[in-house]
Amino acid sequence: MQIYLPIAELPVNMFTVFGMGGAVGFLSGLFGIGGGFLLTPLLIFSGIPPAVSVATVTTQIVASSASGVLAYWRRKAIDFKLAGLLLAAGIVGSGIGVWLFDILRKLGQLDLVISLSYVTFLGTIGVLMLMESMRAIARRRSGANAPVRLPGRHNWVHGLPLKMRFRQSRLYVSVIPIIFLGSTIGFLGTVLGIGGGFMMVPALIYILRVPTNIVIGTSLLQILVTMAAASFLHAVSTQSVDIVLALILMVGGVIGAQFGARTGQKLRGDQLRLLLALLVLAVGVRFAVGLLIMPEELYSYSVISGLMR
Amino acid sequence: MRGRALAACLLVLWLAGAGSARSEALVAALSSDRVRIESNFTGTEIVVFGEIVRDFATVARADPYDIAVIVTGPEQDVTTRRKQRFLGLWVNRDAETFIGVPGFYAAHVTRPVGDLAQRNTLERFQIGLHNISLRVLEDSPVPISERFDFRNAFLRLLIRNGLYSERAGSVEFLSDSLFRTTIPIPSNVPVGAYKVRTYLLRGGALLASQENDLTIAKTGFEQLTYTAAYKYSAIYGAVAVFLALFTGWLAGVIFRRD
Repeated sequence: MQIYLPIAELPVNMFTVFGMGGAVGFLSGLFGIGGGFLLTPLLIFSGIPPAVSVATVTTQIVASSASGVLAYWRRKAIDFKLAGLLLAAGIVGSGIGVWLFDILRKLGQLDLVISLSYVTFLGTIGVLMLMESMRAIARRRSGANAPVRLPGRHNWVHGLPLKMRFRQSRLYVSVIPIIFLGSTIGFLGTVLGIGGGFMMVPALIYILRVPTNIVIGTSLLQILVTMAAASFLHAVSTQSVDIVLALILMVGGVIGAQFGARTGQKLRGDQLRLLLALLVLAVGVRFAVGLLIMPEELYSYSVISGLMR
Repeated sequence: MRGRALAACLLVLWLAGAGSARSEALVAALSSDRVRIESNFTGTEIVVFGEIVRDFATVARADPYDIAVIVTGPEQDVTTRRKQRFLGLWVNRDAETFIGVPGFYAAHVTRPVGDLAQRNTLERFQIGLHNISLRVLEDSPVPISERFDFRNAFLRLLIRNGLYSERAGSVEFLSDSLFRTTIPIPSNVPVGAYKVRTYLLRGGALLASQENDLTIAKTGFEQLTYTAAYKYSAIYGAVAVFLALFTGWLAGVIFRRD
């Protein structure tokens, strides 16, 4: 069934979009990720203008993280003080992101920056995850016990000034890395249409040493608020949030996530991480191919006036 | 007396002459002067039909009548960009901006455009894809030698998107004087005020023309959403966020497992 998208200004097949939302929702439930980094490219490759794809996915992420935040809230597994600091910085980063987004779109370089960033971040994180999960699988095969991971409580980050105490996370760390992390992920999330959970979670665990039981809820709350801010700012400054597209994706996404979460419980953690690493790498490679191979059509056009009708 | 009779004769001849020069008139109408874009909009068609009106004094000539129906959409400024290899990557480099070009263009003609009239006539009335006036910025950074590439690329991209078209032989004569053509309107059509211009030509000369207005507009929910997004962006943004929170909360309630 074709449905006309009022902001993207083109008709799409409702079931195709619903299916995309569902498939990405399934993967996000399976791996415990937001899935923005899969959904945005999928929309772009299927012909939705990049600006609309990015802005609309930020709205979709609000929906997909909201139910998670509620669940972790009930289990009291959120460090509100840490999340508050992260998301305050995240909103600032998001504001800068929207501002840059608009400039890049006018310069005609938005697609390039989106592609380059996807290649860089997905490539790096995909390779790191791939190596980590393969080591874990190799260890399990060889029968050796996984080393109990108790890294030193302190690393270089803990030597920075402006320390603050976070009771729930049992942390006493500098606010500088927290603000840096929050604003960077808010910025990237806004420009790339991703929640950034797959960057935030490892960063909180390995850099700040936040206990793993607190990490996911805290990261989800940060994503929820930052993406809510991003989608509001996108709506105000670039008018590219398509509410019809967002709604179809949300409904598909939340349903898919339920099935994904159930399937995920049947798979081993290291196998899941290996699959996720391959998925992240595949998306990165797809963008790299677009940049490196001579495109069939060198020209493109964009309407710069007459948009307001 | 003789002088007066001669004057009267001259007057009659002059009137007849003037009459024969204006003897063909054109009447054209659209099947609908308003296209509504609703949630199930996947494109539509507009039928243009008309009649060539001849009076008794019309001199029969060997050349056949030609009809050109030109539909033009609202004017836009469009930037065309070209990718070039830069540090091993394909990136947008040169750009050319066309000013006030139609957002939609369809030319339906009885014969290939080149056979209809002289180039200057075709250009004046913008009959045919290659006769659309594509003005560029005065300080265009594109060298003269490459202007043509951008122009062609622009036309090629819009033809591929279905927004620009030229169809020779698509005007159908139902009788000597009645004609009809069906213009497809694609789903990605820009909204706004359109002009449908019908030209009657013969032997390269323009005999008559008529202009009809066509409006393409979003209606109902589509219009509401669009207006809200552009005019009340803050409210629209807040509604979008609220909707997302509500959907997430609802999913959490429905699928609650713990």
